[in-house]
Amino acid sequence: MKDVYLIVGFLQIVFVIFMQWQVYLRKIVITFALSSAAIAVFLFVNGTYLNSINLIILAFLTIAVRGVFIPYYMLKKLKAPYKDREPRNVIPTALSIVISLFLVVVAYVVYNFTLYDITYVKAGSIPIALILQGIFLIISRNNAFIQLIGYMVMENSLFLLAGYMFPELPLIIEGGILLDLIGVVMISGIVMRLREDTVSNVIEEFEEFKG
Amino acid sequence: MIYLLPSFFPLLASVFCISKNDKISEFSSVFASLASIAASIYIIFMKPAVSWLLYIDGFSKIMLVVISIIYLTTILFSTTYIKHVSKPLLSKSSYYLFLNLFVLSMLLSVSLNNLGFIWVGIEATTITSALLVAIDNDEASLESSWRYIIIVSTGLIMSLIGVMLIYASMHTLNISKLLNTSPLDNKLFAIGAALTIAGFSTKAGIFPMHTWLPDVHGRSIAPVSAIFSSVLLPTALFGVYRVIEISSFMNGIKMFSFILGFSTVAFASIFLITQKFYKRMFAYSSMENMGMILMGLAIDTKYALLGAVILIVSHAFAKSSAFYTTGNILSLYKTRNVNDIKGLINTIPFGAYSFVLSSLAVTGAPPFGTFLGEMLILYAVFVKFGLVLSLLILLFLAVAFFSLNYKVSKMSFSTNGDSSKRKDEVMGSFVPILNTTLAFLTIFAAGIINNLLNTGVIK
Repeated sequence: MKDVYLIVGFLQIVFVIFMQWQVYLRKIVITFALSSAAIAVFLFVNGTYLNSINLIILAFLTIAVRGVFIPYYMLKKLKAPYKDREPRNVIPTALSIVISLFLVVVAYVVYNFTLYDITYVKAGSIPIALILQGIFLIISRNNAFIQLIGYMVMENSLFLLAGYMFPELPLIIEGGILLDLIGVVMISGIVMRLREDTVSNVIEEFEEFKG
Repeated sequence: MIYLLPSFFPLLASVFCISKNDKISEFSSVFASLASIAASIYIIFMKPAVSWLLYIDGFSKIMLVVISIIYLTTILFSTTYIKHVSKPLLSKSSYYLFLNLFVLSMLLSVSLNNLGFIWVGIEATTITSALLVAIDNDEASLESSWRYIIIVSTGLIMSLIGVMLIYASMHTLNISKLLNTSPLDNKLFAIGAALTIAGFSTKAGIFPMHTWLPDVHGRSIAPVSAIFSSVLLPTALFGVYRVIEISSFMNGIKMFSFILGFSTVAFASIFLITQKFYKRMFAYSSMENMGMILMGLAIDTKYALLGAVILIVSHAFAKSSAFYTTGNILSLYKTRNVNDIKGLINTIPFGAYSFVLSSLAVTGAPPFGTFLGEMLILYAVFVKFGLVLSLLILLFLAVAFFSLNYKVSKMSFSTNGDSSKRKDEVMGSFVPILNTTLAFLTIFAAGIINNLLNTGVIK
């Protein structure tokens, strides 16, 4: 099972780096759908291996919610100009890829020097790398859709972590987390749409937000 | 089943709100909030409840009552205030629908017996309140709503990792079991507890993850700012307290929480000096109060906990009153800038007095309950950490006191106010006065609060 985990974990990192340099929002959303599908496959395989019905149900929920519903909803909410390209990046693309790779190394080093002694899971640095990359995606991009995907990348990494390290985590809690995610995405979709209609320059700070 | 009644009524009201009829939505929300108060008070006299779903001790009961009362006053204030919003994002019935769901998620968050469910409940408060933040439907309110969603959700991811690590070290997330279980791995548990506290603290506006709070409180409409500051932040701190409770054997976790609380008080007090916008100023004041409460919860001795809970109760009434009044001021003056407001005493006399008194209350002046709460926490700090730290905290509290009250007095008592703007609405004035009075009366409820915290029931 460790091999499947490693392959899916490695794929997740590649997907996020792809999202990092990608400027076409549609492709970023589709990449997110693929990464969610990879996690669903992992949960399904692990569920079959451990004979855990909870993990298998979670795999189906993951593919339905993260792999299909959320990407579909986001693509529907994307307006024409944003479907093509993000207007501008905060950090240049090349630099953002370098930082992304650097974060993977940082996660590996930090994990091996701190958490490995506690968890004894060799590839435990993968979810940490994904969490760091999710945070970086949020802070390095202006577009609210990509920031939301950054948030979901972080959540995906937790599902990977939970599926591998804590497969016995009660399904009802993971189901609750998934339901929350649907809520967050739907409400965010409304706010993002309105925000892109009204906010002329999102980088510019409003005077009242200073201090 | 009866323990779920306070949560049942807002759920029922939400169903009525789906009818899209404004009158029905308003009436059902008022009825639900009244019924919720009655049910919460009834529960105070019942035995503490422990089941697989619910864990209702004395602290939970106090939170249920406070949330229910603020629920009622917010609904009452909204009935007159909402018409001042020129181009609302939501219809009246949708506004009440989200408000009811928001209260429902808070009531459930303080009643649940599972750390995972508490996480779900606290995250649900974000979903149900994000559109309420943006109701003004302008650039700044939409921007603040987006910041709220993304910052708080990212912070809560941190607590989700923490919850998973706690599960890994304890093999359960059931709070009543966690209280009686030792972790299989202390280090893993400590990391999990610290991450959970840090994540929930984001929602409570604790430094350094507080950045969403001034933006949201500053830009959302008065009733929403009021309910956020008075009960949403304490609900998140309630989640923090549950983690402190289950890690009571670890002094490091308590110290970590204490440092977060202390930094928040220090940061908020300093930032209060330079605030130019009155709603934002009260947001920083909320941070200062949450910092004090967190210190009390972290010290977790008898007096510290009592002080923290008294402060939660009294702050809820006082701060909601202050925010309601800021709504009246904004609707009259159409500005949030402190320097543009003068002579409130001439324009909204009742509102001005209520504003001054509620400002005194939120900064811990006697004879309000906040004074007693802060003194008890300071006493606990003195006993545990000595004189120097207590004096330092006192200094920060004094800075916050003078910064806030100076500006509020200037707004209220400066002589050149425009009395042609004179306008006191019945409900708009009544609700803040009622809540300021409740903030004062809290001091007499100290014995009841102490009894509830110690025995979990009033006989």
